[in-house]
Amino acid sequence: MIEFVNVGKTFPDGQQVLNNINLYIERGEFVFLVGSSGAGKSTMIKLILKETEPSAGKIIIDNKDITKYRRRDIPYLRRSIGVVFQDFRLLHEKTVYENIAFAMEVIEAPPKEIRRQVPMVLSMVGLSKKASLYPQQLSGGEQQRVSLARAMVNGPSILIADEPTGNLDPDMSWDIMKILTEINQRGTTILMATHDSEIVNKMKKRVVAIENGTISRDEKRGGYCCET
Amino acid sequence: MKLRTSKFFFREGFRSLRRNKTMSAASITSVIASLLVIGIFYLIMLNIDYAATVLESQIEMRAYLTEGLSDNIIKSISQEVDAISGVKDVLFVSKAEALKQLEKDWGDNAYLLEGLDGENPLPDTLVITLEDPNKASGVALAVSSISNIDKVLYGKDELAKLLKATYIIRMSSLVIILILLFISVFIIANTIKLTVYARRREIGIMKFVGATDWFVRGPFVIEGILLGLLGGLIATTILGFGYHYCAGLIRQQMVGFMSIALMPFGEIIVSLLGLLTLVGIVIGAVGSLISVRRFIKV
Repeated sequence: MIEFVNVGKTFPDGQQVLNNINLYIERGEFVFLVGSSGAGKSTMIKLILKETEPSAGKIIIDNKDITKYRRRDIPYLRRSIGVVFQDFRLLHEKTVYENIAFAMEVIEAPPKEIRRQVPMVLSMVGLSKKASLYPQQLSGGEQQRVSLARAMVNGPSILIADEPTGNLDPDMSWDIMKILTEINQRGTTILMATHDSEIVNKMKKRVVAIENGTISRDEKRGGYCCET
Repeated sequence: MKLRTSKFFFREGFRSLRRNKTMSAASITSVIASLLVIGIFYLIMLNIDYAATVLESQIEMRAYLTEGLSDNIIKSISQEVDAISGVKDVLFVSKAEALKQLEKDWGDNAYLLEGLDGENPLPDTLVITLEDPNKASGVALAVSSISNIDKVLYGKDELAKLLKATYIIRMSSLVIILILLFISVFIIANTIKLTVYARRREIGIMKFVGATDWFVRGPFVIEGILLGLLGGLIATTILGFGYHYCAGLIRQQMVGFMSIALMPFGEIIVSLLGLLTLVGIVIGAVGSLISVRRFIKV
């Protein structure tokens, strides 16, 4: 589903962030990407979303080498990948419903489908009753659930979560993890970058650790750190 | 483009205009300011052009005939002149008529003509109007080669100066308008950039959920077009009233040359409306395209 082949990334100033990364993530897997800040996690996510280009190697998504994609192909790549961020990135002047519908409107989805899909993902994240509220009227956990609903509304086969629990307290974080697990069980491949050791240790999922631009550890049912 | 897509563009464009009222007002003001300057130059150019055309059309050529020709010969000469290409009209003025005209023109000073003792020194004349003053010298050459034509007169140097002056004025106004257009695009691009900057989050979200570049640009282009259109309409109204008022003043104060040369309001308002709204729309659209460019590269 997601494959990195000998991927390297050097910034224009000469700093090497990623060095010879080889990683294969299968369809339907749940993978934690761990490592200290600046280790290269964000760069890997940016490479998958084609926000930045690798200096070496290939990145294969859904059997297609995306390094060969042209600029005008990028939107279509991103439609197959849902993303959630630490800071939610919701539009404050739109309601919960409108925020989610927006993600469908901008890829020119038919209105009929929007009216069908949005309530569905809203009930998946348990926010059906808050559809007409604005993001600021919600708690942080609820806002992140809205952003999860938005990421899933176009039915992506991959979900990327960049520190999704970074701004949330533990209870809210577990709500998010429960929803992520559900999404994963329905067949969506999930790659989650995180610093949250408790979550990683309890979830018992595959853990890929990045250190100084290389993969230092890749365990099937791993923990946050080598001791556990 | 799908109907619902254009609906989306318009909805978002209008929404953004309403949401950023201050910015929209600032953009419209700068559009109006630019268009007013462009419009004033355009009006000056139109009027000079108009005046030049009026003057050019008034240019006549006079062909003096030799003495004592019979009516038949005069008629055939006049037909011959009429056949020359570039000649619009030929009018025969006999020496008697010419003298009468002179008496009339001189008015109070006409007593001076009494010194002629009944003799008429004026020649029979063909007054020739031209289709195109640029071809005057060719026509003059053809006319003077006809037998029994004594002399061909037209304000050769004056005409050449007039043609050169109108050419220079037309060209320099055009250059100034082009420069102003260029400047306006950048002023508007900068103003719209502020609204785009305020909405960079939205652009980022659109991009990561997979909107195409054109889709992201759409609402901003509509917004720019609306700003330009509004600015164009307002600028036209201001300039229209201003012109109407000033033209009235000038007509009251001055007679003769100026009043003839001013273009009528009715003619000017249509072309002004057309030009300013079109220019407004174009600079609005181009301005927003320029300002979105930097934020779209995500």
